[in-house]
Amino acid sequence: MSGLFLSNCNKTTTPKTGTIKISFRNLVGTQPILLDSSIFSNKFGEKYSITQLKYYISNICLINDKGKVTEKESYHLINQSLPASLSFTFTVEENSFSSIQFLIGVDSLRNVSGAQSGALDPLNDMFWTWNSGYVMAKMEGVSPQSNQVGRKIAYHIGGFTGVNSVLKTVQLDFPIGKKLLVEQGKINEINLEADLNLWWQHTNNIKITELPVCTTPGEMAKKIAENYSAMFSIKEIVNN
Amino acid sequence: MIFGGITILFDACKKSDEHAISSGYHPTYLTFKIPAGWPTPPIDIFKNNPLTEEGFQLGKKLFYDGRLSKDGNFPCASCHQQFAAFSTYDHQFSHGFNNSFTFRNAPPLFNLAWMKEMHWDGGINHIEVQPLAPITDITEMAENIENLLKKLSIDTAYHRMFAAAFGDTTINSQRMLKALSQFMGSIQSFNSKYDQVKRGEASFTVAEQNGYTTFKAKCNSCHTEPLFTDNSFRNNGLSIDPFLKDIGRMRITGKSSDSLVFKVPSLRNIQYTGPYMHDGRIFSLLQVVSYYQTGIDITQTTLDPLLKNRLSFTNQEKVDLIEFLLTLTDDVLLHDNRLSQSK
Repeated sequence: MSGLFLSNCNKTTTPKTGTIKISFRNLVGTQPILLDSSIFSNKFGEKYSITQLKYYISNICLINDKGKVTEKESYHLINQSLPASLSFTFTVEENSFSSIQFLIGVDSLRNVSGAQSGALDPLNDMFWTWNSGYVMAKMEGVSPQSNQVGRKIAYHIGGFTGVNSVLKTVQLDFPIGKKLLVEQGKINEINLEADLNLWWQHTNNIKITELPVCTTPGEMAKKIAENYSAMFSIKEIVNN
Repeated sequence: MIFGGITILFDACKKSDEHAISSGYHPTYLTFKIPAGWPTPPIDIFKNNPLTEEGFQLGKKLFYDGRLSKDGNFPCASCHQQFAAFSTYDHQFSHGFNNSFTFRNAPPLFNLAWMKEMHWDGGINHIEVQPLAPITDITEMAENIENLLKKLSIDTAYHRMFAAAFGDTTINSQRMLKALSQFMGSIQSFNSKYDQVKRGEASFTVAEQNGYTTFKAKCNSCHTEPLFTDNSFRNNGLSIDPFLKDIGRMRITGKSSDSLVFKVPSLRNIQYTGPYMHDGRIFSLLQVVSYYQTGIDITQTTLDPLLKNRLSFTNQEKVDLIEFLLTLTDDVLLHDNRLSQSK
């Protein structure tokens, strides 16, 4: 668990803290994602299955009208094949919050900081060895619309510098009138959903027939990132 | 070993308190020495990786260990040979797993602390992540990191060396990469005849002196002293190989202005680092100099402006220039037992 603390120089007593749990649920529309077996259809009528879905969520902040508190060492790899990776907890000083902000991907400084560990370990197969930098989001699968060997589709979305950056900051407001409470002895929850239908269509049309593979930084990676930046929503806030 | 004129810039000794992970952890911190008069490296490559004797020795053992490759036959040292200043001696391309050849000519390894980017196309942005590329490349070592760590974990010698270098027996990718970086980053070259002349310890012959004069007039803008490279990326007019189709740095940046642009290599130890250029297409120094006279394709749009008229040399200048380039050979580096495989 990592910690979030507001700075308060005059405090002499230890502030009370509570636990926040953030959970991610990946869906295609309302369909759950069973790797290798679920068959999906995107907005263009193209069918596909997903064999791998991973993305980085980092630099998480909780926001209220007084400011923001940021998770320390905030790097999480959401991996559909590892259920344990879909949720995590951290400690926060007692407070209440009205929205959450996070980065989809790994911030540019970490991309140039040498060998990392934990969620950022290159062992997680989310780091380009030939063009140093993280793969911010990865989807692989199979589609009859793909002209690749084995009908494979592969999207490794990366690039963190200048015009090639696919880094996307997402801010989600909690439902009107509902605040997230942080209270000692409680684990309160932010439950998020990601709708992978938006991977293919939002501000850009991504068709498997035209682009079965995208594994370098550049224009197409940016278009896909623009799309998926809109895929997250708050399902519910649970104050237990 | 005795070196003249050293300026001590990095002092890792202050870090010892932060890194006493357990009461049994007492590494010997080392100081990276910058030769007198040399520029400061662009970043401190040891900032998050304090240089220690134990880290250096672990990195060296890994460097010479064939197990980092899929079939055990291709340690880093198989392409980075000390007697060739850690390049591949006399090979246009290097041998890799499964009878493969590499895509590009193996660069020598020395003075890496001065490189902001590594590789011919600058695709590597930090020395610590460089080893991931050759280790996982199917034409080179063809291994995967998870498998490699399993191999290391069953070797008690590595348990001891990881503990000595990092405080406990955990063997993970970050520590392995940091250890390799401590070894590679410690390889320095600043004891060639040229360096001795600069320090007043030796003298050039007449031919070498004349060659140095020509060098300063025609080559120094890109192959800048004392590193003998400015570590920039330029197009020196090589036509694209129709089979390799190597577009150079454009593969990394995506910019058309980086088409056929490659890193300026250091000329240190050039006597032993041939064949020359990113694809090793030129076999002798005389041919290299002749290339600059007549071979440069001046129609290329990204050609470096300094080469738009090619370079002119008299025959005597060519011969003397090569004499000068031979003075960049650093016998201390080539024979330093400290960098050789431990017995």
